[in-house]
Amino acid sequence: MNTKTILLIDDEQNFLEPLTDALQYEGYKVLKARTGQEALQILEKEKVDLVTIDIMLDPGKNLKEQTNSHATGLFLCKEIRRKYPTVSAFCLSVISEIETIQKIESLGIKFIRKGETSLRKVLELLRSELTGIAFSTDYLKKKE
Amino acid sequence: MQKTDIPQSDLLQKVLQLEKENSKLRKQLEQVEKAKIEYLQNVSHQLVAPLNAMKWHIENLTEQRISIERARKVLRSIYSQATIAVHLAKNFRLMSNLEGDQSLVSLKEPLQEINLQRLLVNLADDFQPLAWEQSIKIVMVDEKFDRSPSVLAIKPLISQVFSNIIENAVKYSDGDSIISLTGKYMQSSNLFAVSIANRGIPLTKEHQEKLFTRGFRSEEAKSKYPPGTGFGLYIAKKIAEIHKGAIQAEAIDGQVVFTVTLPAKVS
Repeated sequence: MNTKTILLIDDEQNFLEPLTDALQYEGYKVLKARTGQEALQILEKEKVDLVTIDIMLDPGKNLKEQTNSHATGLFLCKEIRRKYPTVSAFCLSVISEIETIQKIESLGIKFIRKGETSLRKVLELLRSELTGIAFSTDYLKKKE
Repeated sequence: MQKTDIPQSDLLQKVLQLEKENSKLRKQLEQVEKAKIEYLQNVSHQLVAPLNAMKWHIENLTEQRISIERARKVLRSIYSQATIAVHLAKNFRLMSNLEGDQSLVSLKEPLQEINLQRLLVNLADDFQPLAWEQSIKIVMVDEKFDRSPSVLAIKPLISQVFSNIIENAVKYSDGDSIISLTGKYMQSSNLFAVSIANRGIPLTKEHQEKLFTRGFRSEEAKSKYPPGTGFGLYIAKKIAEIHKGAIQAEAIDGQVVFTVTLPAKVS
C-alpha cells in the first residue's frame, strides 16, 4: 500500500482540489503549502517523499527579500534540490517561458504543464517516480 | 528644378535628428507591443486556468475517484469556476471595447429599471461558492439594504461593476472573514449608494485613487494573488461614470469599503 507523503506547493485552489482528490484516491497522504515560506516550514518538520512546485506563488513574509511572486517556485526548486536532494520533485505550473522551464529541468526537476496534462498522466508520472511502476492504479482499484 | 541652398552639414544634422526620433518612436511602439502581448498572455492564462481545473474535476468524476457526497461539492466547485470564467470573459470584452471607445457606445443598450438588492443577492450567490473555499462569507442584511427605489441602468454593465468589486473582495479578503453588502437611498441627493466592505489588504491613502487607474495592481495584491490584469476597478469606474454615478474606496475601521453611487429612479 501507498503511505507516501506528497507536498503540493500551490496557491491555486482550483487545481489543488481535484489534484488532492485524485492523490488521496491513490492512497497518498497529501500536505499543502500556499506560500514559499509555508513550503519550507513543512519540509523542515515533516517527512515528505515528493513535492510538486508551482512557479507563480506568494513567497510569504520571510522570503520576500529573496524572491518575488513570479519566481517563488524557481527559488523553491533550487532550495529543495540543495536542502533535500533525496526528495522527488516535480514542477507543476502553467508557465510557458522556455528559459525558466530549462532552468528547472537543469536542476533535475521534471516540468508538467498544469491543467493541460490529464490527471491520469500526472498520477502516472508521480507514481513512476515514487515506485518505478509506470501505470496508474485506477484500473486495478476498479476491479476490486 | 528649383535649386536648394541648404548646406550639406545642415541636411546631415536633420537626417540624424529624424533618425533619432524614428528610433525613439520605434522603441515606444515596441513597448506598446510588449505590453499588449503580456496582456493577452495574462488574459489567456486567466481564462484557461478555470477551464483546465474544471477538466481535472470532470476527470475525477468520470473516473469515479470520488464519493457521491464529494461529487456534489465538486459539481458546485465546477459551477463556481464556470461563473468566474464567464465573469472574466465579460471583463475582457468590456476592456477591448473601452480601449477603442471610452464611452462604450457600442455596448449601450436601453436603460432598465433595476432593483439593486435583487441584483446583488444574485451576484452574492454566484460568488459564494468561491468565497467558501477560504471560509469567507458574503452577507447582505435585509435591514441594511433599502429595498427601493430602483435605479435606471444598463443591466449587464452595472452588474459587471458589482461583480468586479465582489470578485476582488473574495480574492483579497483574509480567510474566515465577512464581505458585507449594504444599500442606502439618500433622498436629498436622490442617489442610491451600495457599499461593499471587506477585511483584507489594507487600503493606503496612496492607493485610494490609484486603484481605479488602468492596469494598476498594488504589490500586496500581486503578492496575494499573482494573476490579474488590474482592469476590474478601472472598468467599474468607467461604467459608473457612464451612468452618471461614481465609485470610491475608503478605509473604515480596518475594512476596505467600496461605495458605488447611482442616480435613483424618481417615480
